[in-house]
Amino acid sequence: MLTFQIAFRNIMRQKRRSLLTGLSMTGGYMLFVLGYSLLEGSYGNIIDIFTLDSTGHIQIHKDDYLDRPKIYKTIRDRDQVEVALTNDPEVKGFASRVFSPALAYSGDKTAPSRLIGIDPDLEPTVSRLLQKVSKGTYFSSLRNAEGYYEAMIGRGLHITLKLDIGDEIVLISSGGDGSIANDIFVVSAIIGNKTSFDRMAVYLPLAAAQEFLSLGNDVHQYVLLVNSKDDNELVASGLSAHLPELTVSPWQKVEATFYRTMQADKQGNYFTMGLITFIVFIGVLNTVLMSVLERTREFGVLRAIGSRPMQLVRLISLETFFLAFISVIAGFLLIIPIIYWLAEVGMLLPEPIDMGGIEFQHLKGEMSARIFWVPMAFILATAVLISIPPGFRAARILPKEAMGSH
Amino acid sequence: MFRLLLLLSMTWPAIASEERARQIIDEMEQLYRGDSSKATMTMQVQTPNYNRTLTMTSQSYGKDYGFFRINSPKKDRGIATLKRDEEMWNYFPKINKVIKVPPSMMMGSWMGSDFTNDDLVKETQLIDAYSLVLIETDDQYKVTLTPKEQTVTVWDRIEYTISKDPLLPLSQAFFDDDGEKVREMTFHEPKEYYGKLMPSIMEMRPLNKKGHLTRIKYDDIKFNVPEITKDTFSLRNLKSRF
Repeated sequence: MLTFQIAFRNIMRQKRRSLLTGLSMTGGYMLFVLGYSLLEGSYGNIIDIFTLDSTGHIQIHKDDYLDRPKIYKTIRDRDQVEVALTNDPEVKGFASRVFSPALAYSGDKTAPSRLIGIDPDLEPTVSRLLQKVSKGTYFSSLRNAEGYYEAMIGRGLHITLKLDIGDEIVLISSGGDGSIANDIFVVSAIIGNKTSFDRMAVYLPLAAAQEFLSLGNDVHQYVLLVNSKDDNELVASGLSAHLPELTVSPWQKVEATFYRTMQADKQGNYFTMGLITFIVFIGVLNTVLMSVLERTREFGVLRAIGSRPMQLVRLISLETFFLAFISVIAGFLLIIPIIYWLAEVGMLLPEPIDMGGIEFQHLKGEMSARIFWVPMAFILATAVLISIPPGFRAARILPKEAMGSH
Repeated sequence: MFRLLLLLSMTWPAIASEERARQIIDEMEQLYRGDSSKATMTMQVQTPNYNRTLTMTSQSYGKDYGFFRINSPKKDRGIATLKRDEEMWNYFPKINKVIKVPPSMMMGSWMGSDFTNDDLVKETQLIDAYSLVLIETDDQYKVTLTPKEQTVTVWDRIEYTISKDPLLPLSQAFFDDDGEKVREMTFHEPKEYYGKLMPSIMEMRPLNKKGHLTRIKYDDIKFNVPEITKDTFSLRNLKSRF
């Protein structure tokens, strides 16, 4: 208790110096929190954009379909998968899909396209496809009056093939049984815009795509959303245990390139934040050393009246810790409104970022407990750490020499 | 003069062997073709992932004209291929479209089988595009075909084995640039069709794809059919015949 009192008194003794040192730590903390919040927030935003747009939080495939898609690598036992997904309380929604490259014709124009067969009823529960219909109407699984299935095409195909709502689109592809798949579909909607990932896609109702590709009732992919997106890897490994013959991949595996880039970028940013803290603490170290040198005589007296060396080390650490703690609390109170504003409103971007047909105008931050406590813990730990060398310096002081000096 | 004679005597056997090889290969090619032919056949495609059986009819005229049309399964009924000289078109009745097979797709699979489009178009050009070397054994001819300089092909060489009596093809082995055997066509079960003896079954086995096999069985083949003329092989007929 006495140590506490002495430590506190020592901070108050040099108010101006303590204030300046404290301010540099407050500033360091605030910068750290701000950078951290923006980093996590903007990545969180990007992740939400593509996971909710079409990737989903988890995907299920047969074998290595993800890396080497082949038309015959299909999920055959769909009941087993759907039972496992329905029984998992963490799974918010799921839908199945089939894929194939296809050549699209309209009149004498041709374009390569990507055929995506989706369940018209379940797809809206896992992706933004329904919201991305920019013209026309979202299709159903039924044939139209003339006996054709409907198709929804990306904006790119709409432009290249000069196709509009109600026009016929001819698709040619290879079927799962080696046959040449060929059929006519009627365009019911245009999807997204020119920058959407699916600008060259043709969406077909699942049943139509399965029939077209001679796949029977098989599908290539199950895509699912989970209740809490940060736990998706955990949910994926849980499902994997239930479906041993299938490959369950969290989005971190599906978008592995992005994930690795993001991790590298984050590490770079953490390093920068660490560097800011380091620079701040060089100043703090200087201050602490100064105060120790200044008080050589005083420490000599303390030693002479029976203080142990370790007590002096603790005293100095405690002083620095106190100062850091007060600074961090002040920083915390000051930064809360800023982070709140960043998370709720965000910085207005000079140019909105377009993400596959959905525009983002604000750079948003993240507001969560870790945004505040991680920098706090880091700064307090560093404060204690840098106070140790000056502490030892104080502990090594010999009373006789110390009291002889000024 | 002596030197010239020596040179002649050295090259003579080679020329003779090339000439003989040409004759043999030409005879093999004629075997399936006649002046014109009309056939019905069954094609079985086996892969580790699917098995498929197609029945089809074919017509040919000389070495440059060919016509194939699928009769079953129902889903593919009416899909047809027309080959004229070195060009090829596919017709899809469901979408009423004729699509020319581009040069880049020539090595692609024909109707999901192990035969390539190129097999249908170029197979008949063997004696023009390749230099031939004949090796004779007691009961077999072995002809090694190496592409001539100007020939565009993916094969480094083709080894054609023919039995002497009866004079019928036994196998063709295709080698790639590394000298590796990549696929093999074998001929089985000779049968007489209207007095002409020929193998009734052809099997194509790609050796770099395990478990893949395409078997073509001739159910019937008629030669020198008078109603088949050059005019049969038009794009208009591709869309309208049958």
